[in-house]
Amino acid sequence: MRVVIADDETLLREGLARLLDDSGFRVVGTAGTAEELLRRVELGRPDVAIVDIRMPPTKTDEGLVAAREIRRAHPSVGVLVLSHYVESHYAMRLLEEHSERSGYLLKDRISDVAVLVDALHRIDEGECVVDPTIVSRLLKRPREEGPLDELTDREVEVLALMAEGHSNEGIRKRLVLSPKTVETHVRHILSKLEIGEAPDHHRRVLAVLAYLRR
Amino acid sequence: MLRRAIALGVLALGIAVGVATFGVARDDPGYGLAGASRFGGLALLLAGWALIGAGVASWLRRPDSRFGPLLAFAGFAWFAPEWDTPGVGSALAFTLGLALASACPPLVAHAVLAYPGGRLGSRFEAGALTLAYAGGAVVLGLLPALSSDPNAETCSLCPANLLGVTEREAFADDVTRVGTYLGVVWALALALLAVRRLPRRAVRPVVAPGAVFLALVAATFAAWVDDGFLANGELERRLWFAEAAALAGVAFGVAGTWVRAHRARSDVARLVVELAQTPPPGGLRDVLAEIVGDPELVLAYPLELPARLVDVTGRAVELPGSGRRTTLVRDGRVVAVLGHAPGLLDDEQLVAEVAAAGRLALENERLQAEVRARLVDLRASRARIVAAGDAERKRLERDLHDGAQQRLVALALSLRLLRSTHPSDPALERAERELASAVEELRALAHGIFPAVLADDGLEAAVHALAEEAAVPLAVGDVPRERFEASRESAAYTVVAETVRAAKGPVAVSAGRSDGTLVLELRTPGVDDLDVVALEDRLGALDGRLAIDRGVGTTTVRAELPCAS
Repeated sequence: MRVVIADDETLLREGLARLLDDSGFRVVGTAGTAEELLRRVELGRPDVAIVDIRMPPTKTDEGLVAAREIRRAHPSVGVLVLSHYVESHYAMRLLEEHSERSGYLLKDRISDVAVLVDALHRIDEGECVVDPTIVSRLLKRPREEGPLDELTDREVEVLALMAEGHSNEGIRKRLVLSPKTVETHVRHILSKLEIGEAPDHHRRVLAVLAYLRR
Repeated sequence: MLRRAIALGVLALGIAVGVATFGVARDDPGYGLAGASRFGGLALLLAGWALIGAGVASWLRRPDSRFGPLLAFAGFAWFAPEWDTPGVGSALAFTLGLALASACPPLVAHAVLAYPGGRLGSRFEAGALTLAYAGGAVVLGLLPALSSDPNAETCSLCPANLLGVTEREAFADDVTRVGTYLGVVWALALALLAVRRLPRRAVRPVVAPGAVFLALVAATFAAWVDDGFLANGELERRLWFAEAAALAGVAFGVAGTWVRAHRARSDVARLVVELAQTPPPGGLRDVLAEIVGDPELVLAYPLELPARLVDVTGRAVELPGSGRRTTLVRDGRVVAVLGHAPGLLDDEQLVAEVAAAGRLALENERLQAEVRARLVDLRASRARIVAAGDAERKRLERDLHDGAQQRLVALALSLRLLRSTHPSDPALERAERELASAVEELRALAHGIFPAVLADDGLEAAVHALAEEAAVPLAVGDVPRERFEASRESAAYTVVAETVRAAKGPVAVSAGRSDGTLVLELRTPGVDDLDVVALEDRLGALDGRLAIDRGVGTTTVRAELPCAS
């Protein structure tokens, strides 16, 4: 799989490039700014671009803006945004603007190769990825009694995976269940939470996240 | 005392001269313009005495202004044309009559154009007046007097001409003809210059009859040009009557402004009494605007450090340039400055009366304005301090993210790479775990210092983010997604965050914008040690308000923040 890496911190950029190289990825370009990133994407034609959320010049949300640009110019290129922000707001913003083939991981994940590699593969396969820490924060936040309390433990587990962007197939593999069981769980969850059937995978992720953020 | 004595002396002299002239005119009706009729004599005395009286009184009121003396002189000069007649009986009076025959119009013009301060407005006025004095006093006065002797020529009964040095009848006639031509010119020019002053309301009662008088003088000169000599026919007499009426008008106009000033002063005096009891909502400005008749009137008070003008609310005001601003001075100190319609407050007497009568009220309001201006300053400085604090916290948050946190993550990555060469080193694994929790703590610390989401995406996003980390359930209702000014967003967020921190149970928050105010409402079963002072300070710096209603079972925290735009 071909990737491009954009991060203004050289040490981090080069380290990540080495790590991915060791894990069998082809790093076809690295960039220190959003502008350079767009050029690298243009030239290297990567499958996924890994983008730091904060880049020069303003160091606020250049990464998200760049993701939107990539979506517009190269719809086939997936985007994985790396961020220090654990608030679901930024992930939601990314998914709303760049819903397919996109992911949002906390930056400290990059030393956890398994998670990073898994995320890249899932994005490449067309899923979207939301950092598990963000989802578990949403699930654990204090809230008044409601439909969430009616879910079984297994259903909560399935709900978390849905929110993280897994497809039914992905959930099945992870929890070692039969496809039928997974479908039943998903149906129960959606009806208990009164979330309408979403027409596609990404909209389901957005709907579940939106519910958890309420 | 001396001034009084002089004034009385001049008045007495005026009365005497008037009575004498009246006698001369009645005895020799064929020579002067007044004629023998009772009305002629009355007009003669009325105009002359009115001018002298108004002139002397003006001088007493404003000794620094030339207006009074000029008007008084004009009054005496008004009598002069009646003296160069046989019946005058005195060579001195006869000679003065000859020399001053046309001196009255230039003096009246000078007085009218210099009203009320005594200074002329422009070089045109000075030029036209010079021409008038030359034409009236020299060409029609001195030169004929020097070169003719009526006694020897046409008027054998006349007293001797004391100025007559040569006897050149033809020259005197030529000079007189030139003088009458010139007279038409300068009298018309002065009449027009007077008309130009008419837009200034305060001088109108004096300048308007003055302009009429000068126009009549121009007409008289035109008649004389037609006659070829200084005739006193039917037309000239009629014009003379009208001139007398116009001059009386000038004098009454002067007196009228005193009455007006007096009335304004009593208005102000009444107003002061009223103000002492109930200050009006619009302040002195509204009342003064009504008294001087300018609804757009601006009343400003001078402040120092920094030097500026402020209105009663303490906010800086801009005033129009000269001619449209008047300074109220009391005891050498500027009490207030008025911005008004052009020429509205040219009457310095009135201005002085207003400043004197309204002194206490003005001083009182000036102090109010000063206090309010300091309050405005203070508020601005508070807002700046809060904004500076926010900026500093934002900078800190960024530094932590882009500095320490990036380093730690890079370090974790290095450890991870090390692990590929030392696959199962327990120390390395422990270091990685330690590092991971350090990164997490740092993230929480940075977020606590300043939530980046607030700066990036505003209040709504930040409140939702707060709901994820709050220790109590936070239900986010309607919160506007629009962006507000950074310090307002920050203040609103602080109210939510602090209330959520102190809440004893679930919190429901909603916000809305109405009439330029951002209204924030939080409901919770109760709060424990909510830092009300900090929140009030924070909101107060932006002119906002905080209201806490601790009801049974529900505490409502309501914050209002003005947000123009």
